[in-house]
Amino acid sequence: MAYEPKEENPPNWKRDFPIRQDEATHISRREFAKFLCLLSGGLALGNGYVVLSSFAFPDKELEGEHFVCNTSDVPVGGMTMFAIQGTREIPYILIHLSEGEWRAFEQKCTHLSCAVVYRDEVKKIECPCHNGWFSADTGEVLQGPPPRSLPQLSVVVRDEKVYVTAFNDTVS
Amino acid sequence: MSDFREAQDQAHPNKTNTLMLGIIMLLIGILSIQIWLLYSALNNALDENEDIAIAAFVGSLILFFTGLWLLKYLPDTRRRVNEEEQTGSKYQ
Ligand code: FES
Repeated sequence: MAYEPKEENPPNWKRDFPIRQDEATHISRREFAKFLCLLSGGLALGNGYVVLSSFAFPDKELEGEHFVCNTSDVPVGGMTMFAIQGTREIPYILIHLSEGEWRAFEQKCTHLSCAVVYRDEVKKIECPCHNGWFSADTGEVLQGPPPRSLPQLSVVVRDEKVYVTAFNDTVS
Repeated sequence: MSDFREAQDQAHPNKTNTLMLGIIMLLIGILSIQIWLLYSALNNALDENEDIAIAAFVGSLILFFTGLWLLKYLPDTRRRVNEEEQTGSKYQ
């Protein structure tokens, strides 16, 4: 249906924001082009937000040691889950790879944040959502859609107790 | 003296149509590039690669201003042009 304004010469603001729905279906190409430009401004803003949030509020390193469990709680080849409270609660998994070998990774898959699990049969970490696989040793992506490796924590075992600290490469 | 706007208003509808289509296409192209920039900035910021986020932001901003500047060349509506022709307010 062609656009028929009910008033003879409606003012611009009425033409842009009409009350009747049938008048509102008319979008001129001028308006469309302006809308595209608005969207583009929004995207630029979004990009600015990425910059801002990565510089002004960088992710804090984990401070200090956090107690997770006793060594006897997780058998070799086993896995347990724990969370560290911070500004937000981050879920982690603790893996008992082999005798005396422990690993701790964030549980959120880097693809779409599904919960990952350790598969002892293949000694790898699996994300069941889209068949993503990570190395249980380093957290690197082995296969599937995840774009980044799993964030890792260092594990310290002292007096039969397991603690985690921020990951740094010198600690093995 | 006639400026760009007037010359454009007097142009044949075919020409304004082409111009309109061209501008909209350019804007869509700009938007696609910006989406791609935002996507890579996000992915790289998560990987602690912040330099890319800055470059993407600057690029995105430049593209946005290019789009704004393009709007200047949007042809006026035919209706308004016709009205002005009838009342003779502009071209005498
Ligand atoms: S969410 Fe893990 S592979 Fe998609």
